[in-house]
Formats: sequence, C-alpha cells, structure tokens
Amino acid sequence: MSGSASLKSTYTPAPEHRFKVGDKVVVKTAHPPGHRRTPEYIRGKQGVIERICGAYPNPEELAYGFDGKPERVLYRVRFFQTHVWTGYAGPANDIIEMEIYEHWLDPAGVQS
Amino acid sequence: MKTIPSDIGGEPAGPVDTIDHGMRHWERQANAFRSVVQLKKITCTDELRRAAEELGGRYKDMHYFEITTSAVRKVLIEKGMFTEQQLQAKMAEIRARFNVPDEIESPLKTAVKK
Amino acid sequence: MSGTPHDHYARGHDDQAHDHDHDDHKPVNEHDDGPPGEYEIMSRAMQELLEQKGIITAEQVTKRMELFDEEFPYHGGQVVARAWVDPAFKQRLLADGRAACAEMGAMLEAERLIAVENTPQVHNVIVCTLCSCYPRALLGMPPTWYKSRNYRSRVVFEPRSVLREFGTVLPDNVTVRVHDSNADMRYLVVPMRPAGTEGWSEEKLAGILSRDTLVGVTVPHLPA
Repeated sequence: MSGSASLKSTYTPAPEHRFKVGDKVVVKTAHPPGHRRTPEYIRGKQGVIERICGAYPNPEELAYGFDGKPERVLYRVRFFQTHVWTGYAGPANDIIEMEIYEHWLDPAGVQS
Repeated sequence: MKTIPSDIGGEPAGPVDTIDHGMRHWERQANAFRSVVQLKKITCTDELRRAAEELGGRYKDMHYFEITTSAVRKVLIEKGMFTEQQLQAKMAEIRARFNVPDEIESPLKTAVKK
Repeated sequence: MSGTPHDHYARGHDDQAHDHDHDDHKPVNEHDDGPPGEYEIMSRAMQELLEQKGIITAEQVTKRMELFDEEFPYHGGQVVARAWVDPAFKQRLLADGRAACAEMGAMLEAERLIAVENTPQVHNVIVCTLCSCYPRALLGMPPTWYKSRNYRSRVVFEPRSVLREFGTVLPDNVTVRVHDSNADMRYLVVPMRPAGTEGWSEEKLAGILSRDTLVGVTVPHLPA
C-alpha cells in the first residue's frame, strides 16, 4: 500500500469540514452513555483521514427521534492494526478503517 | 468500559461457524416487516439500533431475530403504534389459533406441519 | 511470489468454499416446522396490529420478502461482473458506489456504498462489529456467520485467523484491510478477476462472484 492516504472523496464534502484527507487524527476517549457509532476499541487511537464521506444527520440524535440536524461531517479514518491492538498477530502493514464523525475526532497531538 | 452490549469488536471469541444456516420462514417475514416499517418512515435504522442496545444484559443471550423483533416492539410502543396490552392481547389471539380443532380452517394451520 | 492472481491465495478448504458458493441462493424453507416461538408470535402480532390500523398491508411485507429472496442477492455479483468487463464502470463504482449501482438498476435507497478493490497488495474484508450493517440491496440478507458474535468480535483484531477459517490464507506482504461498517456507509468488495476468465460473459462472471467473495472472506475461483 502506498504511503499516501489520499483518495478522492466519494461524495461532495461538507462545505465546512475540519479535517482533510491525510490529516492525522485521534479518536476521543469519551464514554458517553446512550447510542454511539464509535466502537470502544477505536477510542483513543490515532489514525489518518482516508476520505470525507459527506455530512449526515447525527445518528446519536436520530436514535432518539430527533432530526439529527445540523448535519455532522463523517470521515473514514485509517488505522494501522498495530496501533489499535497490543500484540496484534499480523504484519505491520495490516490496516483497519471505519467511519468516524467529526465530533469524535481531534487533531493528533491534542488529547481530550 | 463498555456502555453498549453490541459493541463487541475485539472481544476474544471462538471459531466462526462459516456455514450459512440461512433463515427460517418467520425470520424472513420478520425481516421484511421490519424493513417495511422503516420504508414507511415509522422508524429508522438508528432508533432500531438504539432499541436493541437497550436490551442491555439480555442482548448476549438472544439470537439475532429475537433482538431485532424486540427492538421493533420497543420502538413501535414508544411511538404509540400500539400499547403493550394490545400487543399481548394480539399475541394471545395468535397463540389460540394453534389450538383450533382440525376441522376448522385457520390461516396459520397450513404453516404448521405436525 | 507466485504468478497468477488465482494462485495468489492459498486455499485451505476447497470443498468448504465450494459449498459456500452453492449455498448462496439455496431455496429457503417456505414453512417452519413446529409451533411458532415467542418472537415469531410477537412479530406476527405487530404486523397484524399495523395492518389492522391500515398503516401497512400484508402485500407490502410479502413483496419485500420477495425482493430480499429473489432480487437483492444477485445485484452485487452483477455489479462487480460489470466492473470486471468495463474499466470505466469500475472507476465510477469506486468513485461513487451508489450511483454506479443505480446505473444497473440496483437501488440502494438511503444507503451509501463504498466499493473497495482487492489488488495484489491489498485484500479487503467487511464487518459490522456493532450490529450487522450489510449492503442488503446488493447481497440480500447477511449470512448467519456475518451476524455472529465470533465473526464480529474477532475479524477486527485477528482477521487473518478468521480468514483462514474460511479457507483464505494471505501472505504477509498482502495488506489485510478490514472495514468496520459502523455508521452510514455500506461496503462491497471488488475481488481480483481470476485468470482463465478471459472472454466470459457478465453472467458467467457473476456466477463465480459469490456472496462470500463480495464480503471478502473468500476469493473467486473457477469451478472445478
């Protein structure tokens, strides 16, 4: 896999998006109650923005009958498996990618 | 510190049963019903997911379609589509159909091969 | 490194993989044996209550069942077969999955689709650890293993071990790229086209694109 994480965005990026493709980001380590779509295993991990998926109503609010507006920017973030799991049994080039909403991300180097 | 019972990525687990055991007829119908309810915008995927998560400690002992059916029930009651009492009454009515004597036609009788 | 893409992946359990292909579209039971259980009764009751209120009809549910059984499972293979024969379509599929599927009459409704391409350097595999998100309009209903705890828990942290259980073994210099389908996107793997399929029709190509290859737990292989 080439070193660059840049891939064209699949959909029109949100007009205001905090991160761009290639930015290093860290997933927040928060543990709020209620419906979330950020798996526990990825919280606190550092990765790279792989693409901007667009802006969508926030599922954390849709889950309770709200309209989820204003829409939140959704990114796909790429992580090295060795950065996610202690003692990952596979090679260092293996990766895992998932969708993370902007409000769950900080720039790498800023912890929350 | 897991707050959602379905958030299981990374947990140690046994070998995967790689054979697809398919779906029973009632599961196909339950799935289609759940799909129609979403298409009609009575509820949405996010509400159904949240309702499944609210099963809490019961989640791990339930099968997939038991979970999804419980989630639909929870959401439809929340939205006032029917009450718990109405649902129980209808369930009792359906159970009673399986006690119908052989000489009387029941729409569900053909579905149950004794 | 061996030569052809077909040799690229060792096969541990050929017979098992072969069975998977045949099981993809096996006829489902029209009726279940034995009296209905609690959850079947619950689902029927809810459906009847909504029918009585005029909110839904039984025909709508039946029609939906038919779509899931008779149409959806075939779309994914058709889309990827088209991508194999038409490079411009493949680029459109990789750029905007939903629009490309719509070109072929596979409507994804509210879902967004990301098609991810296997290459000699990268093998993709899909999971939804949080529930069972799956491109149903392209693949039909997910198989029982996809919804299972063991798959959902393990494929994110030991994907190679899980793939081996499906008979798929990858050398270390092939990156395994796991996609956790955790929010609004759905995923479709575009496998590498095996050698020996030159000149095949799209229909014939779709025949080797089983559901398992489009989720990424196996790779397409030519019939024995």
